[in-house]
Amino acid sequence: MFPVRTAERRRWALAAGAVLAASALVTGCNGAGNSSSATSDSINYALPANFTPNWILPIGTPAHLNTNNVSIAASLWEPLIAYDGSTGSIGWNKAASIATAADFAKDGKSVTVTLGNRHWSDGKPITSRDVQFWYNLIKANKSQWANYSEGKAPDNWTSFKVVDDQHFTITFDQAYNSQWMLANQLSMITPLPQHVWDRTSASAAVSDADTTTAGAKQVWTYLNTAAKSISKYASDPLWKTVSGPYTVKSFSTSGKVVLAANATYDGGEKAHIATVNLLPFTTTDAEENALRSGQVDYGYINSTDLDQKSQFTSQGYTVKPWTGWAITYMPYNFDNPSMGAVFKQLYARQAVQESIDQDSLVKVVFNGTAVPGYGPIPQAQNSQFVSQAQKDNPYPFSNAKAKALLTAHGWTEQNGTMVCARPGSGASQCGAGVDKGTKFQMQVLSQSGSTVTDNMMSAIQSSLAKSGIAFSVKTAPVNSVLSQTPQCTAGQPVCKWQLSFFGTAGSWYFPAYPTGDSLFQTKGGSNFGSYSNPDVDKLITATTTSSSDDAVQQYSEALAKDLPVVWLPEPDYQISVIKNGLGGFAQDSLADFHPAQWQWTGK
Amino acid sequence: MNTFLYLTRRVLQAIAVILIVTVATFCLLHALPGGPARGILGPQATAQQIAQFNHQQSLDKPLPVQYAAYLGRLLHGDLGTSYTLNEPVSQLIRERLPKTLVLTVLSAVVGLVLAIPLGMWQAVRRNKPIDYVITTLSFVAYSTPVYFLGLMLVLVFSHILPWFPAQAPQGDSLAQVFADPAALVLPVVAGAASVVAVFSRYMRGATLENLSEDYVRTARAGGSRRGAILRRHVFRNSLTPVVAMLGYYVPVLFGGALVVEQLFNYPGMGLLFWTAAQSSDYPVLLGCVLVISVATVVGTLLADVVQRFIDPRVKEGRA
Repeated sequence: MFPVRTAERRRWALAAGAVLAASALVTGCNGAGNSSSATSDSINYALPANFTPNWILPIGTPAHLNTNNVSIAASLWEPLIAYDGSTGSIGWNKAASIATAADFAKDGKSVTVTLGNRHWSDGKPITSRDVQFWYNLIKANKSQWANYSEGKAPDNWTSFKVVDDQHFTITFDQAYNSQWMLANQLSMITPLPQHVWDRTSASAAVSDADTTTAGAKQVWTYLNTAAKSISKYASDPLWKTVSGPYTVKSFSTSGKVVLAANATYDGGEKAHIATVNLLPFTTTDAEENALRSGQVDYGYINSTDLDQKSQFTSQGYTVKPWTGWAITYMPYNFDNPSMGAVFKQLYARQAVQESIDQDSLVKVVFNGTAVPGYGPIPQAQNSQFVSQAQKDNPYPFSNAKAKALLTAHGWTEQNGTMVCARPGSGASQCGAGVDKGTKFQMQVLSQSGSTVTDNMMSAIQSSLAKSGIAFSVKTAPVNSVLSQTPQCTAGQPVCKWQLSFFGTAGSWYFPAYPTGDSLFQTKGGSNFGSYSNPDVDKLITATTTSSSDDAVQQYSEALAKDLPVVWLPEPDYQISVIKNGLGGFAQDSLADFHPAQWQWTGK
Repeated sequence: MNTFLYLTRRVLQAIAVILIVTVATFCLLHALPGGPARGILGPQATAQQIAQFNHQQSLDKPLPVQYAAYLGRLLHGDLGTSYTLNEPVSQLIRERLPKTLVLTVLSAVVGLVLAIPLGMWQAVRRNKPIDYVITTLSFVAYSTPVYFLGLMLVLVFSHILPWFPAQAPQGDSLAQVFADPAALVLPVVAGAASVVAVFSRYMRGATLENLSEDYVRTARAGGSRRGAILRRHVFRNSLTPVVAMLGYYVPVLFGGALVVEQLFNYPGMGLLFWTAAQSSDYPVLLGCVLVISVATVVGTLLADVVQRFIDPRVKEGRA
């Protein structure tokens, strides 16, 4: 070892200083602080964590059906009928629609739509032909269309007749509830620029190719192929002809989207802010960090961070919950080989539902950012669709009642878990298909990555245990949950799942008219647990064909009582954090965002 | 063994390792229950749409057939197309990899620039209070998860002391990334911390070992000054294990980048991998694993080769 001399020490100190200076230079330590993002002509909006916008075409395929993609597309190509919650309550927002009127025939079998005097960004008028173009594409390619559901649009539309440039008539295969048709079916139509898009390849001339099925298929393929090039969204001339309040300025595969106001827009919702930056975030934590640094004007926080509300308000933000038009639930797998027979017993489902204390979950787990849900109609908003029975909660929380119900049906408690002691289908027996010795124990495959969901599952586990129902929780990413809990039959290996939960941010977001055809109808496309009840099927059919709201209320009551799933609290879609001075809009409960409504109103 | 034969053998080994990695990753991904279709298409997709997706992506074919097709495409430089982003995986990697390289290389450079003199200084000051202090700090830095360290950096240097942005540069091109150097500081520091901790320890150990060698005593006896000995002899000889370790450290750097990119919202390879993992985007996952495998294999290969050149004992099989 050498003695340390002063000169040497100085030299080392100098070297260390040089190293530090060099590293500061390398990393660009120029003292830059946090620049405010809010200016009168731009806004930074935080997209949901871990979401990357990946589609521009307003006729999405299933892989691209995401509310944020839809919101971006609707800012570029305005829908025919904007039926949403952007005005504060769910209804037809005519200011953001191409159509100005929809007159239903008295027999309920057709509708004549009137278009406003509107123009594409290239100056050409928007006409009935542009709507017909959409219609022809969807008719010919319905199986690839994200919104397709057998028997619904376009299957239930038998003809499209152009009356003149501003009027057209769609005829249905039978009489339908006009509100349902308007809110859930016609609202899916987006007039498309036929004079630019009706071609079969980039080099082909624009024609009327869509008027034949083969041609419409080619046009669909061409448009969908073009839409797969995210990096060309801002440069491809195809996407330059728009009808909405914005155009694409840049669109990155990493998720950042910049929208610029469409100067030629002649509709009712002109953009107030010239540049909209839609920012992607890896996690909510990363987004919250950006919020705290003032880099985001319209963002969000976890409900578990609500106790930090004052921190955000002191930084010039307003914390505002955004409720969703959604329900949250855990589907039972009625075809599960071991527990399916138990799940098919209404009393057993009642016992499960009565063991879940939704009020406490809302208060303790959700920090007040959810509302109890007792049936198939969203309850976070007042609506004419919810039945009194659903509002009143047919099965209030009571472990004692749940236990008594099971005991009355032939179950006895052994080591804390109910076991079927009296098999059979009599009134005091366990029920058809439930074998003697069957333990009331079930497992949920639950969405991972959320503390709130984990806490809710723990609370449910504890509460069910008090009724003698064993409940175990297995977690997986939401995509994996959806993949592992499909519709199945008892013999299939994939049918081992018993309960599924994919509702951290709400399990199911409805269109404006909350029917349950795909959720609870026998063999419905998203009826994961294979629930089947012929009476409910009739009610669901009635919701789309009856002319009164009574049908929806009857459906609401029937499912609140029949418990096709475990009803759970409905969490807010998002706890928004909005910079003071940003106003002029309502948070759309259909979970879409509408940048044209945003405006800086002064602070 | 001559250098050509040695290199040929190592390259063949590297190719074999990469092949094994692709087989393992491919099998593991396809062993995941359920497959990607439902996850990609969402809860509203119909059975028909799911079947259509599986057919389009050839997911309905036997696994060996799928792997053979994948390998065939790979040999033609085709890494497949992302299920969710629709873009070719090679293009996505081309866009993201440079950003991750910026982050990892800067972290490594900053880390090494600090670690090497620090390690030497500790060796020179062995068993003095400052040596203990730095050793303790090194252990703390090494044992602190990058995620926690990053959060602390954001808390202190972005929220409490608003000196640096909480987000890494958000630009799409490297020019845009470098145009916002202040935003690089916290992610680079988070990534560099473990490099400093690890390599200062290596450097300290290597320097101590060299200081006790006969050639140092001889040089000292010959009248050479301590500084000159350190600079001319000890420094170079102590770098040998550091260079070797640097190659082996490549996967650690990439792993760290995944966490750092997630934390600082940096659109690099780590974020691409993370997003793909969340959405079961198999082609992207395979592409990322392949790139990281190649980087690891090349890193270790380079480390071995460089070590062989700078340390004759390795060539002669003595070390």
